[in-house]
Amino acid sequence: MSAPDGPALLTLEDVHAAYGPVAALAGLDLAVRPGELVCLIGANGAGKSSTLRAISGLLRAGRGRIVFDGREIGGLEPAEILRAGIAHCPEGRRVFPHLTVDENLAMGAYVRRDRRAVTDDLERVCEHFPILAERRRQMAGTLSGGEQQMLAIARALMARPRLMLFDEPSLGLAPTVVETTFGIIADIRRRGTTVLMVEQNAYLALRMADRGYVMETGRIVLEGPAAELLANDHVRRAYLGG
Amino acid sequence: MNGLVLGGTYALLGIGLTLIFGLMNVVNFAHGEFYTLGAYAAFATLAGLGGGFVAAVLGAIVCGALLGGLTERVLLRPLRGESIDTTMLVMIGVWIAMQNAELLVWGGVAKSIPHPFPTEPLVLGPVAIAPLRLFVMALAAGLIAASYLLIHRTKLGRAMRATFQDAETAALMGVKIARIHTVTFAFGSGLAAAAGALLGPVFLAYPSMGDLAALKAFSVVILGGLGNLPGATLGGLLLGIAEELGAGYVSSGYRDAVGFVIIIVVLLFRPSGLFARQERIG
Ligand SMILES: Nc1ncnc2c1ncn2[C@@H]1O[C@H](COP(=O)(O)OP(=O)(O)OP(=O)(O)O)[C@@H](O)[C@H]1O
Ligand SMILES: [Mg+2]
Repeated sequence: MSAPDGPALLTLEDVHAAYGPVAALAGLDLAVRPGELVCLIGANGAGKSSTLRAISGLLRAGRGRIVFDGREIGGLEPAEILRAGIAHCPEGRRVFPHLTVDENLAMGAYVRRDRRAVTDDLERVCEHFPILAERRRQMAGTLSGGEQQMLAIARALMARPRLMLFDEPSLGLAPTVVETTFGIIADIRRRGTTVLMVEQNAYLALRMADRGYVMETGRIVLEGPAAELLANDHVRRAYLGG
Repeated sequence: MNGLVLGGTYALLGIGLTLIFGLMNVVNFAHGEFYTLGAYAAFATLAGLGGGFVAAVLGAIVCGALLGGLTERVLLRPLRGESIDTTMLVMIGVWIAMQNAELLVWGGVAKSIPHPFPTEPLVLGPVAIAPLRLFVMALAAGLIAASYLLIHRTKLGRAMRATFQDAETAALMGVKIARIHTVTFAFGSGLAAAAGALLGPVFLAYPSMGDLAALKAFSVVILGGLGNLPGATLGGLLLGIAEELGAGYVSSGYRDAVGFVIIIVVLLFRPSGLFARQERIG
């Protein structure tokens, strides 16, 4: 797959962020162009989740600029960022365990006011994820890990985002379910949604992505087309176990 | 029958307190003062404005919710993220301030709240009940049902439950957590005020009436499990009935003691509440 050219949909410039005294991002630069699937890899604690959290407004950036679709979104509330078109599928799935599948999906559309379209989308999502369609009245906490991942993705889709952030979608899932999940993400991108994905499973992620970034201690240390990163010696040694 | 009258209002008190604790992790020591506020609001409506009983209860709910929302917005919102001890101290301050304000406005003499019902008891087969008490019971049941509908059937209620289960992810869905907190506190305080308006005419209204009510509310929350809505409902009814039985069979002087004996027994044997389940708020 080749990366589309043109102006970026999302740009991070020299972004700094911290949890109290603990620095998480230290001068991060990153860009995602429309239609791309970009993956972000790095060791534990490198700041991958913090990057996504800064984009979606959960972690306030202390310095730097975050621009989405030509508009500065750094400092906006998560609700406004979601409304601007960025949905975040968080690490560890984070479905609401004591809400039903339907209620979880409705939470995904919380900021939308077009009620009729939301109802249509609910039906469409259920068609797309038959596993969920059979369990609409079931509490999300009783779903299997794979089903919860489907629900988390479907919930994020309910916001009709233009950019989707995935944080370790393969975490804790059986290999066949990982494959299904990645298939769904590829499909989402094929339908025109831009994707920025954080993944521990660097090999699978880079094989699917257009471009990749490598992160260490809060900043980007390497970037390039996914195929090049797969062949890169440093990446192979540090992240691909070879 | 009288147990249900008390129990229904205890349930309202308990639901309010358990919601506030469950969602905001705030131990609301001022909860009883909103009960007192409700009783005086009912007094003002019935004696001062000459309104009906339903209007008195609605007026009390509005007063309680407004003052509760204001308290949260002004005092608690800036303290978000602070420890539970800090907010607890603040709420103790609110408790003292509100009680003294009530003393200042209404004086220390207990007031009997007039109500439009005949005092003749209604005889329904084997039970006799005052029409006022029947009405109190019906309104309490209606308000409990309305609370359940709000929490389980509305978008706001869904956002409240989601926030309780995982506030950060709820924020990611676009829920404004601060607003949910204000609404929850207003809602809980409104329910406490409703309880005061309902029981006020049954007993008397006086500035320290909220202290005992707060104790009852805490008992109900402990009985039902923290943050547990059905638990608070059942806990309230249970406490009301147990008190009535205790007062009837032992001695009416022991009415309030009965509740605490139950609490101690529950805490000894089921420390997370009689109705503890995985699910809370809902
Ligand atoms: N809630 C928090 N409070 C304090 N420090 C935090 C918090 N979350 C993350 N950190 C710190 O910020 C840094 C970056 O963490 P982050 O979660 O972004 O890493 P990550 O690359 O996603 O790691 P992982 O692969 O383990 O998910 C780490 O040093 C971490 O300890
Ligand atoms: Mg992470």
